[in-house]
Amino acid sequence: MKIKILLYFLTFFFLSSCSIDDTIEMGLPPHDPQLVLECYLEDGKPMRATVLESSNYFDAPTPPLVPDAQVTIAHNGRKLDLTYNPTTEGSPTKLYTHAADEDVQFKAGDFYTIEVTDGRGRKVTGNAKVLPTVPIRSIKWHFDGAGKAMVSATLQDKANTANYYRFMIHRDNIDSGSDVNLVASDELRDGKVITFGTSYTYERGDTLIVSLYHIDKQHYDFFQSVANAKEANGNPFAEPTKILSSVNGGFGIFTTLVVDRKKIVIE
Amino acid sequence: MRFFFLLFTFILLLNNISPALAQGTATVSGFVRSADTNEALAGATVAVPTLNIGTFTDAKGFYSFNLPKGNHTIQASYIGFESGSKDITVTGDKLTLNFTLETNSSQLQEVVVEANTLQQKLNDTRMSVERLSTVEAKLLPALFGEVDLVKTLQLKPGVQSGGEGASGLYVRGGGPDQNLVMLDDAVVYNASHLFGFFSVFNPDAVKSVELYKGGFPAQYGGRLSSVLEVDMNKGNYDSLSATGGIGLISSRLTFEGPIVKDKASFLISGRRTYFDIFTRQLNRINEGNKDYNPIPDYYFYDLNTKIYYKLGEKDELSLTGYYGRDFFGFNDSNFSFGFDWGNSIGSLVWSHKFSNRFFASTSLTSTGYRYNVTNSISDFTFKLTSSIQDFTLKTDFDLLLSKGHNLKFGALATKHAFTIGQFNFDAGDNQDMSFNSGNNYKATEFGAYVSDDFRVNPLLSVNYGLRLSAFDSGDKTYTALEPRAAAKYSLSQTMSLKASYASMMQYIHLVSSSGASLPTDVWYPSTSYVKPQRSQQVAAGVSKLFANGKLLFTNEVYYKWMKRQIDFRDGANLFVNDSLENEFLFGEGESYGNEIYLEKIKGRTTGWLGYTLSWSYRQFDEINDGRRFPTRYDRRHDISLVVLHQLSKRISLTGAFVYGTGNAYSLPVARFAFQDVEGRNTSVIPIYSDRNSFRLAAYHRLDLGLVLKLRPKHGEADLTFNLYNTYNRRNPYFVYFSQIESEADDLTLGFEAKQVSLFPSIPSITYNFKF
Repeated sequence: MKIKILLYFLTFFFLSSCSIDDTIEMGLPPHDPQLVLECYLEDGKPMRATVLESSNYFDAPTPPLVPDAQVTIAHNGRKLDLTYNPTTEGSPTKLYTHAADEDVQFKAGDFYTIEVTDGRGRKVTGNAKVLPTVPIRSIKWHFDGAGKAMVSATLQDKANTANYYRFMIHRDNIDSGSDVNLVASDELRDGKVITFGTSYTYERGDTLIVSLYHIDKQHYDFFQSVANAKEANGNPFAEPTKILSSVNGGFGIFTTLVVDRKKIVIE
Repeated sequence: MRFFFLLFTFILLLNNISPALAQGTATVSGFVRSADTNEALAGATVAVPTLNIGTFTDAKGFYSFNLPKGNHTIQASYIGFESGSKDITVTGDKLTLNFTLETNSSQLQEVVVEANTLQQKLNDTRMSVERLSTVEAKLLPALFGEVDLVKTLQLKPGVQSGGEGASGLYVRGGGPDQNLVMLDDAVVYNASHLFGFFSVFNPDAVKSVELYKGGFPAQYGGRLSSVLEVDMNKGNYDSLSATGGIGLISSRLTFEGPIVKDKASFLISGRRTYFDIFTRQLNRINEGNKDYNPIPDYYFYDLNTKIYYKLGEKDELSLTGYYGRDFFGFNDSNFSFGFDWGNSIGSLVWSHKFSNRFFASTSLTSTGYRYNVTNSISDFTFKLTSSIQDFTLKTDFDLLLSKGHNLKFGALATKHAFTIGQFNFDAGDNQDMSFNSGNNYKATEFGAYVSDDFRVNPLLSVNYGLRLSAFDSGDKTYTALEPRAAAKYSLSQTMSLKASYASMMQYIHLVSSSGASLPTDVWYPSTSYVKPQRSQQVAAGVSKLFANGKLLFTNEVYYKWMKRQIDFRDGANLFVNDSLENEFLFGEGESYGNEIYLEKIKGRTTGWLGYTLSWSYRQFDEINDGRRFPTRYDRRHDISLVVLHQLSKRISLTGAFVYGTGNAYSLPVARFAFQDVEGRNTSVIPIYSDRNSFRLAAYHRLDLGLVLKLRPKHGEADLTFNLYNTYNRRNPYFVYFSQIESEADDLTLGFEAKQVSLFPSIPSITYNFKF
């Protein structure tokens, strides 16, 4: 949070008088690569997954594909195998390694499981439940003296259940890459109105797509843990964080995405 | 309390102590004071060298011991003062003998004390104690020229810093939360400014510090690993004087003088940094420059005050105050961020002498630490506050009995009030969005102790005691007995063996995610779920005087067990969390090592050489898959060499060299690519292996200093030149892995390890004055 600002300040104060960074040789122990899965099931979209593997930190930055990985998703007693066919989509591109021809059809409460295996005997499993959509209750914006607007959106949390949310804002269209990408739990606001907000970055005439995802704890924990792990690399005050994957047997996430989405024009 | 009195009675009976003095001995007692300021000198040596009998003065400058009747020469000595010597004839049962010691004319000589001080150190039952005076610290080279007693203590064996430039203390494998830091009897909860780069102790206001690393006397409790006692100057009650210094990043000014001549004195001392003045100017110059990122404001200040009043021959009263704040702020047209933190301390101490053999000190102290974070964006404001506030009533008695017994006993009660993660979000007109969180706790801590310093015979002396501690958090009460023992056996006039045992309890815990001293660290009480920490430490050592008493060699080994150590779950939210206890993890710790210390404190060249070989581990079921791991400050080898040389009456040279095994550190061993829902910005996610399984490169540094005494028309002045990190060693502060990117298209070409170093060779100059 704002501790980062402090760190920037410290960096300026203490590091400005010296050449800070030196590249050093660092020997790392051998790493046994593990399967890494990313699979987000979304209503009306094809079943697609990305299966890669982890690498030693100093390995070449090429995508470590796993061509012999087999991906099976089960739902309502039916198993569907996804075919290995690496494809990219969008610009910048998103890589998918496995896909099925079928689109996902969600019903709240539906339960999905996934299994990934490969020729080396590695196996990753996971499960995900379709949560009910939580509607965006209101969206407001407010201008500062310089004519920049901040946007806030609210939702009504359901009481007495642990809920987790993800909030995103895109400009113009959802393929443009999000400006805002936050997660939150209702721990401090159980059953009350929860607000997400932005800084003063928008201008009159901007078209924004506001997305509110109702996510499960596994999704929330994974998102937080990858953020913390990234933060720990380069922050002398941070302790290293273990990745809290939503799958067993490897790294990654298998989840469903239920979203309420609204388009606004800042006026 | 009933237990305490029973115990006290039991010990008296056990030793068959008669109130009458043994035939042929008398009690000699009195105060040792500075001739310049009439200030009591705590820790001064008072001894009869021919009989090898002596003692140290207590915090009030008071001493007392028994002597055979007859003619004797008694000497009193203290660092920075000329020794005093008196010939006496003891005929009656008691004799009062006060010493007033003159300040040494040469600054370097101020650290020179007579050889009998080393002899007394050899003969002292206590072990694992380090004492340092401000005079000594002011001579040594310092980062940015900022003299810091706590950092100077890091040069002693068994004491480590957390990292480059840090003022935290890691004592014998203990964490920075396990140090009991006291300023004139009041606890200091966060003893550092600016993320631990400077300690809160202004050297002009502080007289001396004393650090116990083990063998803790029974009067101390509440922390596992060390006790740091900081004594403030009382002020000059003879004449008005001013002391100050102008340095690179801060200046300080102290006034002291009499309120009622020879009876009452005052001291007021302030210090402030001024780099915010430069950064504001820089921001102003760059106003309108779109490529310029304004630098946030940062400054710290502290203010020390003390009033001392001598009520009569038997009573003294002193009132101490400390207030310090760090402030960090950043503002722009729609954003206002403020972060301030600091301690506020008050201490009222009444000392009373019942007789030459019975002395008491009672104090009422208030101490608090608080941090506030505020952030305002348009109508929205959030505020995060955590604090601890204590009120303590404490009384200590010192009773000199016959047959070589010196009894100390006392009790204390502390009321704690904790505010933990008090978060307030105010949404202005949108009140349905506003909310609060956080917890408040109240608790009471008690302690009662009795100890006996017993000189069994000229060769053997023992100090044994028992502390009863208790903690009531409202939902749970804990009690514990903490036995303490120390013994010294003289093999010869120049060699002694020592051993000690100490059991310690710690009822309040620091919630810190970093292991460093951050202002956002908050204290948390023991509750029914969070049980108190406990440690046991054994130590044994040998001391030997060489070169006609000019050199003292000490070797100590220690082993410390620590139960119910605290850490936190991965990714724990320690700031805004109503269920903070759920983030706690409990484990065990152990540390052990060997400390070698060779010191020379007489002659034109003085100094010390210390070497520590040590190990420090923790084990938590939920961390590292239950395997034990080294602490970040686990340091296999640690060497410090300090040399002070008086070149002439006006010039002294100093040098300090340190070497330490690199800190244990966690680094990722592998990575994976994370595309996330959108896949627009693929991230590299590090995968960490065992905690602290890597070592940073070794740390070593040479600092040089020169003190040039000037000849001003009025008063005294000197210029202090320092060269920190003389040979510009790039010591590692931390290591991280980064991506090598193509300049043309930002594509990742590979990965590399980067080491960040903080301080290169830094020269500094400080002007100090006194008039």
